[in-house]
Amino acid sequence: MTTLTNRPTSAHKKALIEHLNIFTALALGAISAFVVWRLALQFLPQDAETSPFFNREDKITLLSMIAWFVGFMTGIGALIAPFRWVTGKDLSHEENMFYAGKDMGVKRYFRYTTDHKVVGIQYLVMTMFIFFIGGTLAMLIRTNLGHPEGGWIHPQAYNSIVGTHGIIMIVATIIMVTGPFGNFIMPIMIGARDMAFPRLNALSFWLIVAAAVPLLWGQFLGGISTGWTAYNPLASQAPLGMDGYIMFICIFAISTMVAGANITTTVIRMRAKGMTWNRTPIFIYGTVASVGLALPAFPVFFLSQIMSGMDRALGTGFYDAAHGGSGWLYENLFWIMGHPEVYVILIPAVAALMEMAPVFSRNPLFSFNVAVLGIAGISGLSVLVWAHHMYMAGWAPLLNAPFMLTTELISIPTGMLFLVLVGTLWRGRLWITVPLASIFALLWNFMIGGITGIYLSDVPADAFLHGSMYVTAHFHYTLMGAGLTGAIASLVYWFPKMTGRMLDKKLSWISFWMVQIGFNVAFIGMFIVGLAGQPRRVEGYSAIFSRGNLITTIGAYVIMAGMLILLHAVVSSWRNGVKAPMNPWQAKTLEWSVAYPIPLENFDVLPIVSSDAYGYGKAKS
Amino acid sequence: MSLDTQKSPQWWKKKDVKQTFIFWLIFTPLLGYISSTIQIRSIGAPASETMAGVINLIGLFTWVAAPVAALVGAMCLTTLLSKRHYGDNPPPEAENEIRNSPRTNAIWITVSSVLCLFALVTGLVVLQKDAEAITDSAAMDINVTGQQWAWNYDYPNGARTEVLYLPVNKPVVFHITSVDVKHSFWVVQMGIKMDANPGYVTETAVTPNKIGVFDIRCAELCGLLHAYMQNKVHVVSQADYDAWVSNRAKMEAAA
Repeated sequence: MTTLTNRPTSAHKKALIEHLNIFTALALGAISAFVVWRLALQFLPQDAETSPFFNREDKITLLSMIAWFVGFMTGIGALIAPFRWVTGKDLSHEENMFYAGKDMGVKRYFRYTTDHKVVGIQYLVMTMFIFFIGGTLAMLIRTNLGHPEGGWIHPQAYNSIVGTHGIIMIVATIIMVTGPFGNFIMPIMIGARDMAFPRLNALSFWLIVAAAVPLLWGQFLGGISTGWTAYNPLASQAPLGMDGYIMFICIFAISTMVAGANITTTVIRMRAKGMTWNRTPIFIYGTVASVGLALPAFPVFFLSQIMSGMDRALGTGFYDAAHGGSGWLYENLFWIMGHPEVYVILIPAVAALMEMAPVFSRNPLFSFNVAVLGIAGISGLSVLVWAHHMYMAGWAPLLNAPFMLTTELISIPTGMLFLVLVGTLWRGRLWITVPLASIFALLWNFMIGGITGIYLSDVPADAFLHGSMYVTAHFHYTLMGAGLTGAIASLVYWFPKMTGRMLDKKLSWISFWMVQIGFNVAFIGMFIVGLAGQPRRVEGYSAIFSRGNLITTIGAYVIMAGMLILLHAVVSSWRNGVKAPMNPWQAKTLEWSVAYPIPLENFDVLPIVSSDAYGYGKAKS
Repeated sequence: MSLDTQKSPQWWKKKDVKQTFIFWLIFTPLLGYISSTIQIRSIGAPASETMAGVINLIGLFTWVAAPVAALVGAMCLTTLLSKRHYGDNPPPEAENEIRNSPRTNAIWITVSSVLCLFALVTGLVVLQKDAEAITDSAAMDINVTGQQWAWNYDYPNGARTEVLYLPVNKPVVFHITSVDVKHSFWVVQMGIKMDANPGYVTETAVTPNKIGVFDIRCAELCGLLHAYMQNKVHVVSQADYDAWVSNRAKMEAAA
């Protein structure tokens, strides 16, 4: 990050907010967690003999984690502005400028900084870091599965690795487009000076940092041996690591809700003059649809984990059949979040590629209205399909048919997205670049992911396929093959605007091919073992599946190599890549009209928009 | 299925449309054949009518999806073969701007709706058959109990085993529950699966139609040894079954 403007901090009297940064946050979080842990150990009464599980330990763990959370957020400075507001002394202009990171250089990336561009970069680095950890875990899984009897990881640890890989990859993919690009690019693209609520923006980022620690902490307390779904009653008998998962989800859900409210408000209220809904770029629609879906979904997730934590720590029986509850309640709450959530991941990635398709085919976006209708249709239907994850749960067999209907209806708006992408490329002059290749890769991967989804949506076929490796391969095709491909394309496309430098062309091409080929090898192999009857989340399998698993493991190593090359490309290009011109792709959206480095409030004079951004071709109006 | 413009009414005579059509004709059988071969060879031979139905459904969906995937592939390939541009600077902008094509949109949406409806109806027909099997009064009832990490089977005459024995060609209804956490009872080659929930009983039904030994696996993560929560189902002739089950009941009584 040496290219970032590095100006000395002006010396003036230091207020409290100037002392706070990530280090004070970590220190205060650790101290308060320790103090509360010690106090709880001292004063919490012992469990009754009849208590089925270790309630007291759960209470102590959860209390310490809450103390960590409160300590960390206080230490980073999240509470200063609300506290001032309550006491009637709002922040002065200088203090607001300080919060925005004015003239602070690299230090602002380690503070509670409100500038959306700083938050965008923070999200980008954070996303890459999470992918690195999640990818490492994936490699452990694949290495363990390379040989049928090759289980060199203890089953308990293996289950925990599977669960941790699942949840942190879900988090990484949720934030991979709307975090970095939704924060950095989106406000400039709509011609705004910042987000509607800059302090909420900083809050949403630092909440994720605060959430990461309980998850890590949980790894030392037995891990998350339940898979990322954390089904009850398995979760209630899981070790203390489960409390780390519960805290992690609760804090992450708050972050997502805060970001959702912020991005939605920004887009609705702060678009430039003249940017009517018909002139709003499609990426903005994708971002809003994504965070808009998260708004109803994540409170449910939050609630489901609060109840899970209460079952563990307070002996309530929400999910315990013996105490009048039901595991099916958990499954319903989980998937009411879980299905919209996959579209939270997918829609912005596809929308980002829709934004790039006109640029790299020099054609207008084909059927803007159909694109909007497709995104809206997917968003609307996706909240009505959750029980297709529960066809085989036995919860309500009579509801299988209606949920099959809603699920298969989603193929219609999904088909619209294909139409828009293919129609845009058709008869275009294709500029062969990584983003363009990513569009083709997405069409290929998403086609496979989508069609296999139709088999899974069909109840009788799902009776065979559910819970097998086939499902794992299917959702990797959609979330990774389609979603991550879109996110990497976004990185290549917007890298010049975010860092002022071009991403190394050769390295990004090598990485692109390795990731795409490795990916298809890995997950076609996984489809085959799934069809042959291998259940998912197993740490050992019968010898008949060994060939398919070996293929998958080899593919996984190719993906790893490709991703490491991409990481190297990002780091080296960020440090000393070729300096980028203002508009390297000759695109027509607003973010390309400001030069790097983008000033604090983006525009000297706010732009006025008189047409949409897709005026390619001869009709140059 | 084309992208026409007002100026050229005879869109089907355009070179790239013809090229797309030829690619489509090649890709459709190719994709359908390759995918369905991979699927059928991976799945293996069915051991029940239900599983045969599942294999038919998968094959049918594959052949219905093949032309759609082939069309997208053909259009992509045609586009990719026509005008490419390499270099650091953008190419000149396209000559004929296609912003919209109401007819294409209408055709695309209609066709995808029809395909969706077709998938739904075929699925519902099979689903209805499966649902009726559960209420079959002639069927044999077997209680299945999952526990960490084994399955137990209770037969009508009171016998209890850890390996399932079934008579061939006789409908059987499984009543499934669990004593600890959620499991999922999966008889792989018979194409049935149902979760075992603690505190509740769920049902699924099948008629095995092939003598042999088949796999039962747990399909829901259930803790430490989930991967090894599997055993076999022996499908035997009615005579062998009767002999085995009465023998088994005697053993239980003696124990």
